[in-house]
Amino acid sequence: MTTIDPTPSQPGPAAPRAARPGLAARLRLDYYLIRLDWHLQDYPGKAARAIKREIKADLLTVAGEVGMTAALTALGSPAVLAHGYLAELGRPRPRLTAGAIAAGLAIGAVWYMQVAYAIGALDTLEAVGGGTATLTVLGASMTYTSTSTTISVEGAFTWQWLALWLGVGLVAFVIASRLWRLRSPAQRPVA
Amino acid sequence: MTIPDRDPQLLKGVLPMLVLRLLADEESYGWELVSRLQRAGLTDIATGTVYPVLGRLEREGQVSSRLVASTSGPARKYYRPTPVGEAELSRAAEGWAALTRTVAEVLGAPPADGNTSATTDTTASEGAIR
Repeated sequence: MTTIDPTPSQPGPAAPRAARPGLAARLRLDYYLIRLDWHLQDYPGKAARAIKREIKADLLTVAGEVGMTAALTALGSPAVLAHGYLAELGRPRPRLTAGAIAAGLAIGAVWYMQVAYAIGALDTLEAVGGGTATLTVLGASMTYTSTSTTISVEGAFTWQWLALWLGVGLVAFVIASRLWRLRSPAQRPVA
Repeated sequence: MTIPDRDPQLLKGVLPMLVLRLLADEESYGWELVSRLQRAGLTDIATGTVYPVLGRLEREGQVSSRLVASTSGPARKYYRPTPVGEAELSRAAEGWAALTRTVAEVLGAPPADGNTSATTDTTASEGAIR
């Protein structure tokens, strides 16, 4: 449980008075925190935000005394720091952000293949002198037209295509996010 | 005092106990606690190893924290042991004392004579064959 004391920390703990870090130091700090945020994506959101606030506050304090570069070096790689926090959780967590990115890329890849297929069909029509062709794939009739005055692709969006997109996205999401970790039993860390 | 070539796993096992002990003396924020550990002789301790331990101890209710306004930036988070943490510290300290006694006894014991054992084993085996 965390309580809030708005008064400066005295007479208890020593409260170092340090110069405020400059813009470059703050940018380095922000970059570090962004990388830490990425590596903490498996960590429960509220707790992860609390970690970043704590690290930021301490770094701003110490950077005024030893410099931001030295402070960040002492703290170590954000990946290693995040790994330490995750190890102390005692159980693996799914990587939801990585899963969402993978799902987006997978759906984008399917879309890219559809576009490439359409461009190939139009090129073929043009190579044979132009005209119109209708092809049915996964229940969707697509009409490709390539003439001297018109280039077009028309068609309907069917549930089969929707299922393909969602299926591809879901599989990518599950694999990349390690979603099965939700079922992992809790373990007490060794330390 | 610096101990050369220390196995990091040894420190990892006792770090929560040391953290609780230092916080029992005086509440500290994370970085300050690392400095105190280093001044106590753990000069090779990595700053990044202490924060996760503090996080776990707080999650388990062994330490509580308070945010204290800072003149240099956001409020810092100071930790102190809870009654649960103090009880855990006592338990861990007793366990550590028992372990060190046992380890000292084992390390202090005279090494066994390997040749004698081998001879005995050979004799026993021969006896069994006969």
